[in-house]
Amino acid sequence: MVSPIFIIAAGLGTAFLLGLLRDEWRAAAYGLTLAALAGTAAIAGGWLWAFAIDGAAPVEILTAGTPAPFAINLRLGLPEAALLLLANLTGLLSAVYLKDTLSHLGRRAMAVLLIIVMAMGGIILTRDLFNLFVFFELIVISTGGLILLSAERHALGAGFKYLIVSQLITILLLIGIIFAYHAAGTLNIDGMAAASLVMLKGGSLAFFLIFIAVVAELKPVPANGWALDIYEAAHPAFSAIFSAAVASASLFAVDKLLLIGGPAWLPVATAIGIISFVASNLLALPQTNDRRMLGYSSVGQVGLILTVLGQRDILGDSTLFIAGGILFSHAVAKAGLFWLSGLVAGRNLQDWSALRGQPLLIFAFVTFLAMLSGLPPFPGFYAKWELIHLLAGHGRLVLLALILFGALLEAGYLFRWFGYIIKGEQPTEVIVPARHKLSVAMIAALAGWALGYLWGGLSAHNNLLQTLPLLFALGFLLLEWLPAWIKNSLAIAGLVAWFILGYPGYDPLQLIFATIMLLGGALILMASYHAQGRRVGFYPSAMLMYAGLAMLIVAKDSFNFFAAWELLTVGSYFLILRGKHSEPHALSYIVFSLGGAFLILAGFALAAQGNSQFSIEALRQVAQPLAPWVFVLLAIGFMTKTAAIGLHIWLPGAHAEAETDVSPMVSGILLKAGLFGLFMLLMHMGKQQLYGVELTHVLMWIGALSALIGNLLAIFQEDAKRLLAYSSIGQMGYALFGLAMMNHLGWLMALMFVINHYIYKSMLFLSVGGIAKRTGTRLMYKMGGLITLMPLSFIAVLIGIIAMSGVPPLSGFGGRWIFYNAIMTAEYRLPMILIFLSGPIAFLYLFRLIHTIFLGQLKDEHRKIKEAPFWILLPQFIYVVCLMVFALVPGLALRRVDAYISQFFPQGALNWEGLTITSDYGYWSPVSIMVVVGVIFMTLFAWLLFVNRKAQKVKQFNIVFAGERPFRPETTHFAWNFFAPYRKALGFLTQPLVTGFWETLTDLLHTAADVARRFYTGNAQIYAIHFLAFVVVLFLLSRGV
Amino acid sequence: MAHIALATGFILILIGLYGALTNRNILRMIVSFTVADTGVNLVIVAVGYLRGRTAPILDATLPAAEAAARIIDPVPQALVLTAIVIGVGITALMLAYAYKLHETKGSLDIADYRELKW
Repeated sequence: MVSPIFIIAAGLGTAFLLGLLRDEWRAAAYGLTLAALAGTAAIAGGWLWAFAIDGAAPVEILTAGTPAPFAINLRLGLPEAALLLLANLTGLLSAVYLKDTLSHLGRRAMAVLLIIVMAMGGIILTRDLFNLFVFFELIVISTGGLILLSAERHALGAGFKYLIVSQLITILLLIGIIFAYHAAGTLNIDGMAAASLVMLKGGSLAFFLIFIAVVAELKPVPANGWALDIYEAAHPAFSAIFSAAVASASLFAVDKLLLIGGPAWLPVATAIGIISFVASNLLALPQTNDRRMLGYSSVGQVGLILTVLGQRDILGDSTLFIAGGILFSHAVAKAGLFWLSGLVAGRNLQDWSALRGQPLLIFAFVTFLAMLSGLPPFPGFYAKWELIHLLAGHGRLVLLALILFGALLEAGYLFRWFGYIIKGEQPTEVIVPARHKLSVAMIAALAGWALGYLWGGLSAHNNLLQTLPLLFALGFLLLEWLPAWIKNSLAIAGLVAWFILGYPGYDPLQLIFATIMLLGGALILMASYHAQGRRVGFYPSAMLMYAGLAMLIVAKDSFNFFAAWELLTVGSYFLILRGKHSEPHALSYIVFSLGGAFLILAGFALAAQGNSQFSIEALRQVAQPLAPWVFVLLAIGFMTKTAAIGLHIWLPGAHAEAETDVSPMVSGILLKAGLFGLFMLLMHMGKQQLYGVELTHVLMWIGALSALIGNLLAIFQEDAKRLLAYSSIGQMGYALFGLAMMNHLGWLMALMFVINHYIYKSMLFLSVGGIAKRTGTRLMYKMGGLITLMPLSFIAVLIGIIAMSGVPPLSGFGGRWIFYNAIMTAEYRLPMILIFLSGPIAFLYLFRLIHTIFLGQLKDEHRKIKEAPFWILLPQFIYVVCLMVFALVPGLALRRVDAYISQFFPQGALNWEGLTITSDYGYWSPVSIMVVVGVIFMTLFAWLLFVNRKAQKVKQFNIVFAGERPFRPETTHFAWNFFAPYRKALGFLTQPLVTGFWETLTDLLHTAADVARRFYTGNAQIYAIHFLAFVVVLFLLSRGV
Repeated sequence: MAHIALATGFILILIGLYGALTNRNILRMIVSFTVADTGVNLVIVAVGYLRGRTAPILDATLPAAEAAARIIDPVPQALVLTAIVIGVGITALMLAYAYKLHETKGSLDIADYRELKW
């Protein structure tokens, strides 16, 4: 092996050598720089291999031939090697990225770049305190130089602010070092730790000074105004080094110092870290400048890692895995994002829409976004899982909550940014990235995936990048060049194949969900055949969602369950975002979903009590008094997906604005994920009481209110898709109500709703989508009389609403019948009345679909429209057949489920003898009902034809128009504000209180952040005062240590 | 002696900090930091000083065998040399920045460079 001393020597030597070259030999100098960086990276890589693969022991390098403390010693172990590789690779890639700038500025700039990389190596390797100081000063000087790479003219000011603060840091560090030396008699870090410096006279103060000086290099809030200015003004390639590598090296230095400080200083590190994490993510919310926002995010991430280091007392051996996972995710993603920002001309977040139309860049961006947000399958996800579990296991719940809150804030602004890219205004100029810059960004993205694979392998869990469904979904990224119909066929085949493969292993409940999610998904995908072109981005997102769903229903332990949950959330977010005007709705969807996911994570972690392996079955054994809290966390988490009232505000927009074939997927299928979760929860935890309140009773109320309010809101919609979306809230309310009844019939009813809602909601969304496609509007009062032009859509809608309203003979009636039987057994009367009430309300809105769209007068501009496209109609008619079959022989699906539910609730099972179904209260004979209704229908229809045979046809314009044309013509349309009287009577129930609540909350956060960030006045002296105040306050607080 | 040096050092540091925080002129700030740096160097030397001992130079008058008992601690002196060199480097860099800043705006008032904020 090459001695690691060459990592420092090569950098330093080459930097001096560059000084000897002639100024004109720029290419040679550049080549030399790259060679030196590649060489040092290779040395670091070689050592990393030796430690990680061959299991080599850490090595000590004695610089002057004598051991410490008589000479400076360096140490190289696994973490050092990994960090060295990170620093050198970041340096190398930034050097490649800076090709033009460096060639322009000449060899001096290259030398400074080499020095900063070398200095990071020194910080990582050295075990000597004064040596550490020297390398930090080298970082300061080279940073001062490299900031000037930027073309931004404010960079000078930022650099000077940095120099001022680093003067203060230097003063503290030097005084601290000399007194530490005075107290301990050595400058060696391990020597000081052995002498337990902090116990010696004066040692504690000396340590404080050193510690605070090094921590200041991590740019903790609030002593970090200078750092943000640097991020905003510096060249992005330098910011990449500054954020990814320098911060990592400084973190490692803090880690070494904590060795001296011992356990007493861990809480201090934790406090500084978590304050930085939460505060800087909050302050990032109102940012509009991309690089400044990335700066805030960097500060936050580094704060999080500092928190992890501060928790090493409970994290133990996992510290390296967790801190490393977050650190490398942060480093790769942040460097990548800074590199990308160099490709975007404008500095406003909205200017990033320039990335649109560049699939490679978007892929890279999404990778970095997911890495920063800690989404699977990236290292941050595994790290977050372990971290939260250990924190929960040791009862550090406040810290846990703060970490999740900060992470949610961060995800919020990152995903909002992504929304700008995908849905922002069309860019005026298309960016043509230079090949070397593009390669650098892509290398970072691929490194992210490689790290994800590595961390999956290192974790005690399933390596997600080895799971077949996820790989299948990701495979579509490689197939993007194919036309959409080929990809569609592949996707359908994949779903069906996965169902067939899994079929023998499913229990009846899983079978129902698998049928809906996989086969049902394939059925909806048939509608996607109508799409032309390549439809870039659709298939990876859709299949990611299906992969998550497929993994969710077979998940045996909490890790796999949660990973699947996050995958399906992310996939569906990308799907929803594809709609034309869906940007704000997709954002609120992802924020609610991630918030819910974090609650689920916290719930599982609390239940597992520190074990990171926790089977779903074990939820049964969760002890009091923890159990009800676990129940609450999980239930709220799942209810974000089913859009229970209060958590529903994302749903209408997200479902209504989605593309025609996406709406049924996210409504008919995705909502069931939440129900599946609730099934799991109630099946394993049953009834729980919190402060004497029966929690299932609360759920029942939520279900009843969701049904009532959802239905009420639906009747006042003018937009047909929004109407259907609100109706989903109501339908999920029914299902939740059924589940919460905790008896046999209630569960059967919930399952019936799972099946029925999938069928009729998918069908209605498809028909309405097809109509909207043809008419160009979703507003119902702008339609009318379409029955003759779109008869097939009419039939589908008619059948759909018959089924949904629960009148005989279709399957909705079966649902109702079970439902009425079930509520007879319910223990609570008032929610039962509410749910009864919401039934007729459903008629009101369903009626409008037929009445306003298909009946009445045909609009002039619709005279020539055609029937909906074939591929959109086809699945609808398959649904019609399904509805008929399911109506005739409901036992086909329900019988086995009924038997299955008997395991949990032996009482109240139905009797499935013959063709009739018998309950305690009566019987239901689907076939005879069908026959009776059919006969009545045919009789009436024949009679109608008979009496109408002499009717005279009246042409549409065979009437007299008179009066003025009003200002808003639609107000005179009879279908506009159709239920105005009801609105007058019940409108108070539909006030957007919940929306108002969440909006106020986000406004409050934004306003608070906007006020708070004025703290960073931009004045260098104020920043210096911030720093000193930070030191003084921390000193006073740490006296308690 | 050592205490006087130590106290002087700290007083210089405080004077320097006060100057750097109250003067808005960039050149004055740089000079103030130089004063503070000098104070730090003085503190370092003062901490290493041992009463009644000689300089840590081994020669004919000071055989290696007696060195440990007769010389003052050489480490702080080595440190202070390094610290001085680094201080010079940083001061030079700050002066270069001051020159460049003046070139862009014609002002040496630190309060004029506040475009980056919030």
